[in-house]
Amino acid sequence: MSVAEVTLEKKYHRAVEHWRRHWLPDYETLLAQWDRYFPQDEPFCLCAKMECGTPDRVAVGEHAGEPKRLAPDGLSEEEARHLLAIIRAQASTEFGSIQQHSGTLARAQDDEDRFWVLRVMAEELRHGYQMFHLLLSQDWSKAAAGVRGEEMVEEILSMGTGSHVLDAFNLEYDSFVDNVCFAALVDRVGKYQLTMQKVCAYKPMADSMPPMLREEAFHLAAGVIPMRRWAKRAAQGEGFITMQGLQRSINKWYPRALEMFGDERGGDSNVRMGFKDMKNRQAQDLYIEEVRRMIRDINARYLRARFPGYTPEKSDQVLDELERSRGRHDGVAFEDLLRLPDRRFFRRKGEPAWTMVGLEGESFAEVDDYLRHLAQRLPEAYLAGGDMKRYAETLRLVVSGQLGVEDAIRKMPRLKRVGGNCPCSRAVRWVVEEPAS
Amino acid sequence: MPEVQAEVRIRPLDELDIGSIVRIDERISGAYRPDLWEQRIGYYLRRDPEASRVAESGGRVVGFMLGDVRAGEFGIEEPGGWIERFGIDPDYRGRDLGTRLFSAILAHFRERGATKVRTLVDRKDARVTGFLTALGFTPSPLQALERHIEPRESP
Repeated sequence: MSVAEVTLEKKYHRAVEHWRRHWLPDYETLLAQWDRYFPQDEPFCLCAKMECGTPDRVAVGEHAGEPKRLAPDGLSEEEARHLLAIIRAQASTEFGSIQQHSGTLARAQDDEDRFWVLRVMAEELRHGYQMFHLLLSQDWSKAAAGVRGEEMVEEILSMGTGSHVLDAFNLEYDSFVDNVCFAALVDRVGKYQLTMQKVCAYKPMADSMPPMLREEAFHLAAGVIPMRRWAKRAAQGEGFITMQGLQRSINKWYPRALEMFGDERGGDSNVRMGFKDMKNRQAQDLYIEEVRRMIRDINARYLRARFPGYTPEKSDQVLDELERSRGRHDGVAFEDLLRLPDRRFFRRKGEPAWTMVGLEGESFAEVDDYLRHLAQRLPEAYLAGGDMKRYAETLRLVVSGQLGVEDAIRKMPRLKRVGGNCPCSRAVRWVVEEPAS
Repeated sequence: MPEVQAEVRIRPLDELDIGSIVRIDERISGAYRPDLWEQRIGYYLRRDPEASRVAESGGRVVGFMLGDVRAGEFGIEEPGGWIERFGIDPDYRGRDLGTRLFSAILAHFRERGATKVRTLVDRKDARVTGFLTALGFTPSPLQALERHIEPRESP
């Protein structure tokens, strides 16, 4: 296993550094404290990492067995445009998550949790940088009929929370609980996307995936381990973060995470073109089972902390019984445990878009009843925000028949105009040309 | 003893294995130590998530081996593999799982450029020493030394 490290052309590298100063102001602190929180780990490198020695034949789709494409010119226009859309979405998620994390990072109760998230942010920056490398290291304009990588980079750097490609990256965090639940739920979708893209018929994309996946493993740990610790503290009555608080954050992020897979009925093009090895529903099903495992694991941590004298077998038995009966056990109610929301709960895209399905899979006929149900299950700070207001307005239009489901899907997220300017000055573009010498 | 005919899969460690590893450790040591394992697994996942391995049977983790490649420690400059911890569910012992875990971790160390794999063992633990000897481990020229630190003492 060897990895080649690549740096972008200076003006693009500087643009990413400039962006980083806006959205990751603690970056220098992270580097200064790296050895304290991550002793013996390789120092952080803002660069693209390309895995060497990956398969050079297409693994799936209509080109299976052919040599992987090394440059955009080897792709048809349809393939090039499709792949660019994947790269754009991937890059948008990387930069978008940093913007989200930055809002509540300082509210972490524990320094270790804060530095773990800071490292996640720095590595997401590197992943965005990696996607820029794919956009900038080759000329896409011929293969994709005039689409230029440089313009896509400017566009992505100009995106903010509210104008990113995927809904999950257009929601503000309400507290540090969101930083952690996001890492556990949304980064997990990222793991699936990266894993599927390991087979990509465009070799530079495939070569980008293994180094990103290695870093993603820690991002998931940065979500699950604090959740486990909070569950323990909640059980011991020490914590300010309750299981109900965690559940509300899960209810907020899980539906958006499911939508990141794309419509449950889709994904054929990705497989046909050899860019991914699973269709949307297939990957989503595996994801759901993994989240189910995660929730069970955190609940087990909670019960063992609540009943320190129990054996693992006894704890399992109690958990099984609580899940089955939805009752109580020695002061612990089923509602005190985390639950996996129904896959149709609070959906606005995909197969169940704009259906009114509750957390446990129950159906609602009246909008007001459904909105009350959501209000009781989502974080209070999120309910007070614009996303919820727009959702409620759109839902009323859909249910009353004034807006079709497809039109409602297109309405979310409400994209803001994306310009090419750096937010610190309307006159400065993100990518600044070198002065003529 | 449970039915253990299900096929065993060796795969890289992930963050959802913490609970299973805590349970295996509890069965072996009798101590419930989730905090310790959260810390250690966080460490291995951030350093080299493909190195450490678990054995899974019927969807359940029944064994684990944690390690990584390090260089520059104790004057050893070349990269070397280190195995820190391993454990097999007592119900699944005698089925070669330790050897299979070791083979997988060794292949990864080789891929990362390591030419030696090291570990430390309590000489009094005949079972673990026997297992490692069977895997080809021999006494190292490096010797583990230790000294007690008195609460107050002159240098």
